[in-house]
Amino acid sequence: MASTGDRLKTLIADNLEVDGQAIAVPENLDISLLEAGVSSVDLVAFAKLVARDFNVKFTLEHCTTLNSVKEVADFIDSQPG
Amino acid sequence: MPASVADCWWRPFRNVGTAAVVYVDLAPDAAREAVALTWLDQEEQSRRQRFRFDGARRRFALCRAALRAILCGQLGCPNQQLAFGASHHGKPYALVNGQPAPIGFNVSHGSVHGLIAFAAEGRLGVDVEERSPARDLDGLIGSVMGPEERAELASARGNHRLHLFYHLWTVKEALMKALGTGLTPDVSGFEIPMAMRRGKKTGIFRFPHLPTVRWWLEDLGNEHFAAAIAHELSPDSH
Repeated sequence: MASTGDRLKTLIADNLEVDGQAIAVPENLDISLLEAGVSSVDLVAFAKLVARDFNVKFTLEHCTTLNSVKEVADFIDSQPG
Repeated sequence: MPASVADCWWRPFRNVGTAAVVYVDLAPDAAREAVALTWLDQEEQSRRQRFRFDGARRRFALCRAALRAILCGQLGCPNQQLAFGASHHGKPYALVNGQPAPIGFNVSHGSVHGLIAFAAEGRLGVDVEERSPARDLDGLIGSVMGPEERAELASARGNHRLHLFYHLWTVKEALMKALGTGLTPDVSGFEIPMAMRRGKKTGIFRFPHLPTVRWWLEDLGNEHFAAAIAHELSPDSH
C-alpha cells in the first residue's frame, strides 16, 4: 500500500495547481502549500479531500498551521486508524 | 521607488469609512519586479526565494514593495526604518525603528490582483479572489457555508452561483483576517448578513462568539475579481 506521503503527492498532483501549473512535491515532502501560492479556496477543497481520503478530521486550519506536506503526512499518520 | 507615479503598479482603489484600499497590479512585469526587489529587506528576499512558482514570487514582491512604499509615505519614514512583526496567529503589523506603527493594514492577492487596506484604528481584513470555476463547488459550499448561505446558493444558477460563492467567501475571509485569530471560529459557523447575501454591498456584522464588536463589511468586487473588506467599528460609531 502506498505511503501517506505518496498518497498526498498524488492528491496534490491531481487536484491543486498554481497559475495553471501542477505542484511538484519533492521526495522529502518539504513544501508548504501556502508558500507555493495555493489559494485559500483551493486549500479548503484540499482539506476536504484529505479528510475524505484518509478518514481523518482535517480542516482548513490544519492546512494553514501545518507548515509542510511532511507535517500533514505526520499529522495523518498520528491519527487513530 | 518608481521614478514617477505613472510607473507605480499600485493606485487608490476605494475609501471605506476611515479605511483606504489600494489596488496593486500584479500582472507579470519584469521591470516592476526588479524595482520591487530593491525595496525588500534581506528576510523578505529570502522568503520570496522560498516560493516555488514565479507567480507567487512576483505577487509577494510587488505587494510587499507597494506596502512598504505606501507605509513609508504615510508614516514619513525611510524604508530602512520599516520592518514587520507578526502576531501569534501570523497577522503582520508594521514597525518603525522597532516600535509598532500607528497604522494597521491587511494584504490580499489573487492571480494578478492585489488589494491593501489601511486604517489608523480598528482591526481590518481584506480578501481578493479571482472567480475560478472550482472543481468541486458543491463540496466547497458544504465545507465553508452556513445553512442559510447554502440555501441561497442552492437556489442560484450558473455564473450567478459562482459569483455568489466568491462574494460570500471573500466577505468571510476578510472577517477572519480582520479578527486575526487564524481560522477560528470555523467559517461555516457564522453567516454573512442576509441583505448582503441578496445583493446589498454593505452591512454590519457581529460574530456569534463576540457580540459586542461590530464589523463594517463592504463588497469591493468588480467584473475582474471578487473582493471584500471587514473593518472593526469603534464602539461609539453609529
